[in-house]
Amino acid sequence: MTFLERTTDARRYRAWEGNMEADYIYTSGLAGQRFFVALRDEGRLLAARCTACGLDYLPPRIFCEECFAELTEFVPVPPEGQVASLTVAHQDRTGALASPPQVWAFVTFKGVRGGLLHRLLATPDAARPGMRVHIRVRPREARTGTIADIEGFEPARSTK
Amino acid sequence: MRKVGVIGAGMTIFRRRLQETGKEMCFEATRMALDSAGLSIGDVDMVVNGTAPDAFDGVHMKGEYLLDGCGGYRKPYTRVFTGGGTGVFSTIAGWWHVASGLADVVLVVNEEKMSSCQPHPQSVFAHIWDPILDRPLKPNLVWIFAMEMNRYMTVYGIKKEDIARVAVKNKRNAVGHPCAQLADANITVDDVLKSEVMAWPVQRLDISPPSDGASAVVLASDDFIRRRRIKDRAWISGVGWCIDSTMWTDRDLVFPEYVARAAKMAYGMAKVRDPRREIDFAEPYDPFDYKELHHLEGLLLAKKGEAPTLTREGVTQRDGDLPVCPSGGLMGVGNPIAATMGMKIGELFWQLTGQAGKRQIPHEVRTGVSQAWGDLMQYGCVVVMRA
Repeated sequence: MTFLERTTDARRYRAWEGNMEADYIYTSGLAGQRFFVALRDEGRLLAARCTACGLDYLPPRIFCEECFAELTEFVPVPPEGQVASLTVAHQDRTGALASPPQVWAFVTFKGVRGGLLHRLLATPDAARPGMRVHIRVRPREARTGTIADIEGFEPARSTK
Repeated sequence: MRKVGVIGAGMTIFRRRLQETGKEMCFEATRMALDSAGLSIGDVDMVVNGTAPDAFDGVHMKGEYLLDGCGGYRKPYTRVFTGGGTGVFSTIAGWWHVASGLADVVLVVNEEKMSSCQPHPQSVFAHIWDPILDRPLKPNLVWIFAMEMNRYMTVYGIKKEDIARVAVKNKRNAVGHPCAQLADANITVDDVLKSEVMAWPVQRLDISPPSDGASAVVLASDDFIRRRRIKDRAWISGVGWCIDSTMWTDRDLVFPEYVARAAKMAYGMAKVRDPRREIDFAEPYDPFDYKELHHLEGLLLAKKGEAPTLTREGVTQRDGDLPVCPSGGLMGVGNPIAATMGMKIGELFWQLTGQAGKRQIPHEVRTGVSQAWGDLMQYGCVVVMRA
């Protein structure tokens, strides 16, 4: 016979506790090495170019998913991108209230396949899809070669 | 059912930690396999990915994560997983894609990046144990293999020296393997017997440690092979798989019945009536040295309790009557779980097409069998291949 009453507390019944105590170290890989070193040292985004397919991949990768060629050419991503979509997060991932609400954007760049998710450094009222943005990176001495070297996307100077 | 051949294979080097991401390792192995088959990604109809628990790489839905490196972009793509058995099982899944007539060309790509898991993959292996009966006792996974090994030794009166010979043979065989992590031309039985005790009777050199790596094979229909005039091919003539009881306490720790059932299925399909006479060489799964012996008996290539004798007499050496793990196996090349396909299916292809280089068996071989073992020591899968 199974539990017939609703309960959210499994400890009321005979139960055992456990946890899966695994931690991880993820290598950034060959393309990731190029991408994060350029971000740290030069404060810019790199894409990987497939000359056969005429594609630039962001984030960069060592192979073209279309023709499966090995990619060895890395090119700078255009400085100005466009907000493809955005969300205003009123709760963080634990469900706790985010105050003030955070604006998160998915940004794409002209002629580049893919894009990046990051903070949109604008108020919810000012944020809108289609707005032009560029990355704001942390000062050189604060950069360590991770995605957090980017503070977020800020509205391009040409827009309000 | 249509006839299916292996027409290309590739694998990365195996190392405790590789810089490449899982996707990048998959790409390297896949590119190599396609190049060796003389095909481009456009020739591939469908893709099968094989990889072990997500918890090793630390990426949930690992099959989906790896798919672009596997060449699966915008193709029918499936991940399969049978624990360590994936090393051979993914090829069986690829085989049914082609044998059924659904696809002409299928890529099979296996990957494992165990180094992501810290401090050691043991921390996730431990959760294979039953969460209520076993885990509160804080067992290490090696305990279960130690009990199986001890039972095998006790029932047949096998000496540890005779088991250690397998580790020595395979680590020496691996000297000719360009991907090997554990090759050692000078290792002796004494080295194995003097290595650190992990859980008696399992010592450090009785076991293959965790690793990073990827491997790939290309399968094609006989029609495609004929049309493209592909010369280097080895036919898959039989496949079999079987799983035993979910309770390890209900299994026979001495004889792997599930392997024998899988082998009988594969031999039946391949019309192998007397395996010991008709199989020229074998690549059984050898994450522990005693497992090679266990599996030779399960594959009906040795009588019960006889495999250590065959090993001692040199029958299983590369130039013996029944070469076993001429690749160097998991004990010599390494054990990135699913990626061991490179030594199981890959080695059969390379040996049967005369492309094994320094590892080539000196006499002619026409029929080989490979086998992998997985889940919680209860899963067997077997592939018979012919030149």
